Amino acid sequence: MGSKRVITEKDLKRKDKLKALAAKSKPKKLSKKKKTLKVVDNEEITFAPEKKGSKLDGQKKKKKDIETEEEITFASEKKGSKLGGKRKKKEDIITEDKSMEVLRKRERDKSKKAARKETKDLVLSMKTSKFMLKRNESPADEVYHISSGDEDCSKGMNKWMAEYHQSRPGLEILQRQIDEFMNAHEKQEEEARKAREISVADDGFVVVKHHRGRKKTTDSESGTAVGSVSQAAVLDKMAKKKNKEVGIDFYRFQKRDAQRNEVMMLQSKFEQDRKRIQQLRATRKFKPY
Amino acid sequence: MEVVVSSTGAVIDPMDFKVSEVLKEVQLDYESPTVTKFIDETISSIKKVINKIPQDLKVGSDLAPGFIRDVNADKFEFSFKKPASIEIGGSYSIQALTKPSTSIDLFIRLPKECFHEKDYLNHRYHAKRCLYLCVIKKYLNASPKIKKIEWSTFQNEARKPVLVVYPVQEPDEIPGFCIRLIPTATSLFSVPKLNLARSNVRALTKEGMAPQATPRYNSSILEDMFLEENAEFVRKTLLGWKELREALILIKVWARQRTSIYSHDCLNGFLISVILSYLATASGGNRVNKSMKTVQIFRVTLDFIANSKLWDKGLLLQPHNQSNLSKEERKQYQQLFPVVLCDSSSQLNLAFRITKHGFSELRDEAAQTLNCIDKYRDGGFEEVFMTKVDFAAKYDYCIRIKADESKEVYASGFCLDEECWRTYEEKVHSLLEQALGDRAKSIRVTWRSSPSQWKIEEGFSEFSTSPLVVGILSSAPEKSFRGVDVGPNAENKEEALKYRKFWGEKAELRRFKDGIIAESTVWECQHWERHLIVKRICDYILSRHLALPEEKITCVAEQLDFCLLHGGKDSFSFHGSLLAAFEVLSKRLRSIKDIPLSVSSVQPLDPAFRSTSVFLPAPHPLANEKVKGRTSQLPSTCIQPVEVMIQLEGSGNWPMDDVAIEKTKHAFLLQIGDSLQKSWGSRCIASEDEVDVLMSGYAFRLRILHERGLSLVRKKVGNERMKQITSGDKELFIRGQHSSMINGLLGRYPVYGPVVRLAKRWISAHLFSSFVEEEAVELLVAYLFLRHLPFYAPSSRITGFLRFLRLLSNYDWTFSPLIVDINGDMTSKDEKEIHENFMTSRKAYEESPQNLDRPMFLATSYDKSSEAWTKYSPNSSELKRMVAYAKTGAELLTDFIVHNQTDPQKTWKSLFRTPLNLYDAVILLHRHKLAFPQRLLSRPEMIPGEMIKAKHVSEGKASKDFDPFMLRGDLEEMKKNLMVNFDPVRCLVNNLKEEFPETFKLWYDSVGGDAIGLTWDKLESKKRAREEMDDDENDKRQDPIDVLRNVGEVGRGFVRSVYLFKSPRLQN
Repeated sequence: MGSKRVITEKDLKRKDKLKALAAKSKPKKLSKKKKTLKVVDNEEITFAPEKKGSKLDGQKKKKKDIETEEEITFASEKKGSKLGGKRKKKEDIITEDKSMEVLRKRERDKSKKAARKETKDLVLSMKTSKFMLKRNESPADEVYHISSGDEDCSKGMNKWMAEYHQSRPGLEILQRQIDEFMNAHEKQEEEARKAREISVADDGFVVVKHHRGRKKTTDSESGTAVGSVSQAAVLDKMAKKKNKEVGIDFYRFQKRDAQRNEVMMLQSKFEQDRKRIQQLRATRKFKPY
Repeated sequence: MEVVVSSTGAVIDPMDFKVSEVLKEVQLDYESPTVTKFIDETISSIKKVINKIPQDLKVGSDLAPGFIRDVNADKFEFSFKKPASIEIGGSYSIQALTKPSTSIDLFIRLPKECFHEKDYLNHRYHAKRCLYLCVIKKYLNASPKIKKIEWSTFQNEARKPVLVVYPVQEPDEIPGFCIRLIPTATSLFSVPKLNLARSNVRALTKEGMAPQATPRYNSSILEDMFLEENAEFVRKTLLGWKELREALILIKVWARQRTSIYSHDCLNGFLISVILSYLATASGGNRVNKSMKTVQIFRVTLDFIANSKLWDKGLLLQPHNQSNLSKEERKQYQQLFPVVLCDSSSQLNLAFRITKHGFSELRDEAAQTLNCIDKYRDGGFEEVFMTKVDFAAKYDYCIRIKADESKEVYASGFCLDEECWRTYEEKVHSLLEQALGDRAKSIRVTWRSSPSQWKIEEGFSEFSTSPLVVGILSSAPEKSFRGVDVGPNAENKEEALKYRKFWGEKAELRRFKDGIIAESTVWECQHWERHLIVKRICDYILSRHLALPEEKITCVAEQLDFCLLHGGKDSFSFHGSLLAAFEVLSKRLRSIKDIPLSVSSVQPLDPAFRSTSVFLPAPHPLANEKVKGRTSQLPSTCIQPVEVMIQLEGSGNWPMDDVAIEKTKHAFLLQIGDSLQKSWGSRCIASEDEVDVLMSGYAFRLRILHERGLSLVRKKVGNERMKQITSGDKELFIRGQHSSMINGLLGRYPVYGPVVRLAKRWISAHLFSSFVEEEAVELLVAYLFLRHLPFYAPSSRITGFLRFLRLLSNYDWTFSPLIVDINGDMTSKDEKEIHENFMTSRKAYEESPQNLDRPMFLATSYDKSSEAWTKYSPNSSELKRMVAYAKTGAELLTDFIVHNQTDPQKTWKSLFRTPLNLYDAVILLHRHKLAFPQRLLSRPEMIPGEMIKAKHVSEGKASKDFDPFMLRGDLEEMKKNLMVNFDPVRCLVNNLKEEFPETFKLWYDSVGGDAIGLTWDKLESKKRAREEMDDDENDKRQDPIDVLRNVGEVGRGFVRSVYLFKSPRLQN
C-alpha cells in the first residue's frame, strides 16, 4: 500500500463495473481499467491503476482461491480504512451500511480470509432478509388477483385458444403459403445460379474447372442414382470388385503393433476397473442390506 | 474377462474381489481385542448370574401358566438345579457370524436332575424347558448389566422358546448385539422312545383308534438332545478352513436376501453349515475340497442344492461304510419328510422342518442364481448378493390373511404333532393349489411369528399376530387369465361331487363346443380386468373354506388400477378399435392415387398403438366420418392425436435444402389430407407444422419420413455425416425403430403394457414429465423384463411397477450404462462399443463430479450412445430427485404389499401424490380447465399443513371461454370447436419458458395434474450472464414475488393460485 489514493463516491460506483472486469482475464482487465479511468478522468481523481493491478497480483499469490471480485471490494475497503476522513462519504453510498461497519470491525480483528468469507455470507443474508422484510411490510403483501382474462386475448387461456385457431386457417391457405414459399425458394435458387453464371461470364471468359475422376452416377449423400446407372447395378459391381487392399495384419510390424495396443488397452482397463472399485468402496456399494 | 489389479498388484478375478469386499462388510472381526473382550465379559457375567441361582428352588407351572395350558401339559413341579454346562455355540463359535444379525448362541445344557425319564411325553419336556428359562429370566432381569430380555423361539417353533438377552453396553462394531440362551437336552431321554413311529402326544390318540405317530414332536425333542453334538460336528469341519467359512457366510448373505427361502420351513444358518460340512466330508463325497476358492465352494454348493439327485435318497452325515441306518429306517424317513438330512448319529433328520414347497422354492432359487452367474457378464454379482428378493418383488400376487383371531386355526389345540400355524399354512397352500391349478407356477405360504413382544406367560393366542403371507408366482397370461376352468365330466359322479363341494355355487354344469358336458367355473370379466381373475379366485376360495370375513383377506392386484382408469374404465379397452382404425387408415393411405409419389409404408409411432401410453385415446364422436347424432356423454373439446409415420416412394427430385424438404413434406401431407377428405369424408385439420386426419373416432397425426435421411442413417457413413441429417428425420427413424421393437416385446410379455403405464403415470405424477421421455421409461421397464434374473419376468403390474421403482433407485447410474437388448441380438462387439461410448461420456465426470454428461445412460441396439432419449435430460440433479422419490416410493409400496396398513394417511394413492413443499414455488391450476379433467388423480383440495409455510402470492379466476366438455348444440358449431392436441398445461409451460428464460425450472405433469412446481435456477451457473448484466437488472430478477405475479399473469384464466415456498438463494 505504498501509493496514496483518493477515492470518491464516483469511484465506488464504478466498483461494480470493476467487479465485472476483474473477473475477466488479467491482461484484458488492465487495459479495460484504463478505459474506465478515462471516463472518470475529469473528476479529479488520482488513481494508480497499474499499481493496483500489481497489488492485486500480490494478493492473489497469497490467496489463490479467492475470487477477484472480492479482492477488489476488499482492496477498496482497505483503502477506506486508511483514508479515515473520507470514510463517511463512502458509507453513505454503500447500501448495507450497518453491516459493512460490523464487517469492517471484524476485518480488523480476524484474519483476512475468514473475514472475507463472513462478509460474503453476511451481505447475502442481509440482502435476502432485507428483501423479505421489505416484502412483509409492503402493502402489496395481500394476495394479488389475476384477472380471468376473458376480455382480452393478450395472455393466458384466451391467447392460447386464439393461437390455436389462427394457426389452422384451412388447407387451401396453407397450401398457398407453401406454394408461395416454394416459388420464392426456387426463384432464389435460380437467381443464385444465374448470379454465379453472370459473375463468371462477366469478363467474357469461362473458367474451366477440372473434374477429378469419372462422372458421378450416384448422389453421394442419398445414394440414389443420378445418372443412367442404377443403384442396384452399382452395388452389384461393387460387390464383384475384389478387395485388393492389404489386410491390417499383413506385415509383422502391424501384428506386433496390434498386440502392443491390446496390452495397452488391457492395462488401461485394469486401471479403470481399479478406480471403479475404489469408487464403489467409497460409496459402500458392497453393503448387501 | 474382466480382471482387476488389487492394491498389492496381484491380478485377481473381479468376482473374487467383490466377494471379498462383501465379506469384509458382513464379517465380525474376531481378532479385535475390544470385541472379544466385551463378548467374553458379557458371557461370563451371564454365566455368573445363572450359576448363582439358588439350587433346589421349587419351580411350578405358575411361572408361565398360559404356556403350560396351551402346550397341554400336566401340572408338575421340579426343583431347580444349575445347568450341566453353559457353552458358546452357533455361528459365533465357528466364526461365521453374519451381520446384521449379531447374536451369539449360548447352549445351556439342562440338568438331568430336573427331568424324569418319561418327561418326553405330552409336552412335559417342553413345559419344563420353558419354566427353566423363566427362572433364568427372573434372575437375569435383576442383573444391572442387562438392558432387556425378550422371548424368542427356536426356528419359529412356539413350544421351544429361547431367551434373547441384550446387554446394557453395545460396542460400535456389533450394533444390535444380543445373546440367545438356547437350552439343550443332551442325553436326557432314551433315544428309542423317540423313534419316529412312536406316539408321544396323548391328545392325538382318540379312543378306539391306533395311536398316531408323532414324528415332528419327537424330532423336536431329539433336536435338542443332539444339538450340541451336531454343532460340534460342524465346528470341527469348519474351523481352520477359511474358504469354507467364507462360503458359509456368502450363502447366508445370499439366502437372507431371499425371504422366501430363509424361513422356518426352509433354510437357516445352521442347515447351511450342515450342508456345507456334508459336502466337505467323505460322506458327501468330498465335493468341496481344500483347493477350492470361496466363490467356487459357493457355486458347487448351490449346484448341489439345485441339481443333485441325492436329495431324493436323503443325505447322511455318516460315511456310508459306518452307517448304522437300516434300509427300513431310511425308507421311513423318506416317507415322513420331504427332505432328509440325517445327522451324524443317524437318529434325527435335521431337515425335519423343511416342507415340500419350501424345498422346491429353494432349489428353484439356487437354479436361478446359477443361471445368473453363467449368463451375466460380471458373474451376476449384483443379482446374486445385492438384490433383495423379497415377497413383494418376487411374487406376482401377494395375499395377506389376518387369521390370528380366527378360532379355526387352533381349534384342535395349539401343539399336537405339529404346531397349529404350520398346519394352517399347509391348509391354505393346498386350497390355493387346488383353486389355481396351472394358473400359478408356484405358491408359497408362510406365517411368520413376531414374538418380540410376546409374553410367554399368556400363552400362544398372541403368538402370531402378523398376517399370514401368500406369494403366488403366476404362469403365462394365457393360463392365468383364462376365463373358464373345465372340471370333471358330469358322468363322473364322484369327481363332480367333489368339484361342487370345493367350488360351491361357483361350479356350474356346462356344455362345451366339443360336446362335452362338464362341471366348470366361469370368471367372466372385461378384457382389461383379466388380471383380477386370480385375485377373484383366491378371495372366493379362501373366504369359502377358511370361514374368514372378507376384510381379513387382502389380495394385492388391483390397488393401483385407479390411476389408469378413465371414467371408471381402463382406456386399454379402446386399443382394439384404435388398431382397427389404423388398419383402415393405412389401407386408404396406400390407395391414394392423386399425389405425385404414392405412400409406400405406414407405421404406427405413438405409444398408444403399443398400449403403453397412460391413457389411450377414446374414440371421439365428432371424429367420425359420419358424425352420429347424440351420444350419451358430453364429448370432450380436446382430442389427443396419435402419431403415424408415412414413407413415400423414392424419388430423385427432392430439394436438397432442409427447410425446403420440410415444406415439401408438409405439402405432401396437405395433399394427402385433402385427398382423404374428398374421397372418404375424413376431416383434415392442419397447421403449419402438423397435419391431423380425423377418422373412425381418432385423430391421426401424419408425419413423413424422408428416405434421404433414412438411407444415411442406415449407412452410418461416419459420425460427421450423421450430424448433418435433418434432426426431424433422424428422430422419426429412431422412433420408428423403437416403436417396432417395443411392439415385439409386448407380444412376448403382455404385462409389459400396464407396467409401463404405471411407471409413466408415476413419473408424471411426480412432475418429471419435462425431464424424462416416454420412450426412456419404456426402455427402463423393458430392461426389467429382458434382464429379469434373479426374478422371473414380472407377470403382474404391481410387481413390475415395484421392480421399476427399485431399478430406478438402486441402479448405479453414475458408473454403469443401462443396456437394453430388446431383440436379444447384441453381440459382444456392440456391448464393447456401448461401454466405450459410456466411458467417453464419463470422462468429464472424473475431472469434475458436477459435470455429468447423460447421467442416465440408456443404450439400445438402435442407439448405442444414449443420444435418442436421455441426451439432455434428466441431468444429474433431476435424476437425483427422481432416484430419491423412487426409493421412498419403493419402500412405501413394499410396505403396502406385505403389511397391514394402520395409518390412514398412507393409502395407495399417496404413492402418486407428490409433496408440493419440495419445490420453491407452486402454481395450482383450475382443474376444470384441464384438457382432460377426468385424468386428474384425486388429490384433496389442499393437503392440510402442506401450504402453511407457503406464501400465497396470487390467485386468479378461471377463463369462461374454454370448457373441456362441449355443450350440445349445432353439429357444425361443435365440429368447429373440436381442438386437436390442445393442452393448456403445455401451452402454459411453453409460454413460461419463453417469458422467463433461465429464471426457474418447471416441473409439471403431462398426463393429468393440476400443479406445476417451480425451482429457481441457480444463479451460480449463470455467472457469466450475470456479469454482463447491469446492476438494476440484477435487482429486478431477484424479486421473486414480482416474478411469480407475472407467472400468474401469463397463465391468465388457467392459473388458480401461486404459492411461494422459498425465495431464490443469492449466491456466488
